[in-house]
Amino acid sequence: MPRTSNWLWFALMALVGWGVWGFLVKLGADRMNPRALQILFVVGMIPPLVLALAKVKFVVQKDRQGIFYGILNGLLATLGMLAFYAAMARGQASLVAPLTALFPLFTVIGAVLLLKEKLNRFQVVGIAMALVAVVIFAR
Amino acid sequence: MKRMFAGWLIPALVAALLWGIVGILQKLGSNRMNASSLLAWVMVGYVLALPLFWQGSGLASLSHKDLFWGTLAGAANGLGTWSLFAALERGAKASVAIPLTALYPMITVAFAYLILHERLAVLDWIGVALALGAGAMLSYEPEPAATAREAELRVEQFSGRIKEDS
Repeated sequence: MPRTSNWLWFALMALVGWGVWGFLVKLGADRMNPRALQILFVVGMIPPLVLALAKVKFVVQKDRQGIFYGILNGLLATLGMLAFYAAMARGQASLVAPLTALFPLFTVIGAVLLLKEKLNRFQVVGIAMALVAVVIFAR
Repeated sequence: MKRMFAGWLIPALVAALLWGIVGILQKLGSNRMNASSLLAWVMVGYVLALPLFWQGSGLASLSHKDLFWGTLAGAANGLGTWSLFAALERGAKASVAIPLTALYPMITVAFAYLILHERLAVLDWIGVALALGAGAMLSYEPEPAATAREAELRVEQFSGRIKEDS
C-alpha cells in the first residue's frame, strides 16, 4: 500500500498550484488584456505538459473520439478563461475565484442530464450550498 | 440582486458554466485515453484558438515582469493538473483527492487578503465558505464508481495482453 503522505503532498501541490494560478490571473488581469493573458497562459502550460508527456514516454494516444473531446475541451476552456479574466479584471479575486470554482455544479448537472449519472447525497447538498453561495454573491 | 450587473458576476458564472461543460468532456475523454494524452489534445485546442488572440494582444509592449508573471500563471495551473495526476498515480483515492483539490480558491483568497488587501463583508465570507464546501461536495464521487472504472481498465489491459500474446 502506498503511504498516504506521499500522494497527499501531490494533492496539496495541486491545490496550491491552482490557487496561485487564480491569484496570478488577478494580477495579470489588472495589468494586461485577456488576449495577452491567454497567450502567456498557453506558453506557461508547455513545461507541465512536457512533464506529463514524459510519464507516458511521449506516446500520445490517438483515439478519434478522445481527440475530439480533448480539442473541444481546449477550445471551450479557452472561452471560459476569457470570461474568467474579464471577471477578475472587474471584481475581487476573493469572490471571483470561489464563484468560478463552482464549475462542478454544471458538470454534475450535465452528467445527470447527458450521461445519465445519478447524484449522490453529497452532491445534492453541494448543489444547495452552491445555489445559496451564488445568491449571497449576487445580492 | 444588485451585484448581478456589477460586471464580474455574469462573466464568472459564464466561466463556471463553460468549465462545467469542460468537466463533462474530460469525463468522456478520460474514458478513451490516459490523462497525459488527453492533456496533449486539450493543449492542441488551446493552441488552435491562439491565432485569434494575437492581434491586439499588446504583448510586445508588456514589461518583462508582466510577461513572467503571466507565464507563471499558466505554469502554476499546469503544475496543479500535473500534481493531481501524480497524486492519483501514487494511490490517492479520486474520491478524496479531487474534492480536496477543489478547495484551491482558499489559496487565491488567502493571497488576495494578504497581498492585495482585499476585504470582504461577513456575508461574503459565508458565501466563500459555502462555495468552497459546495465545490468539494459536488466533486465527491463515491469509490465504487472509481473501482468500476478501474475494473474496466484492468479488463481492457488484460484483453490487450491476450491480443498481444496471440
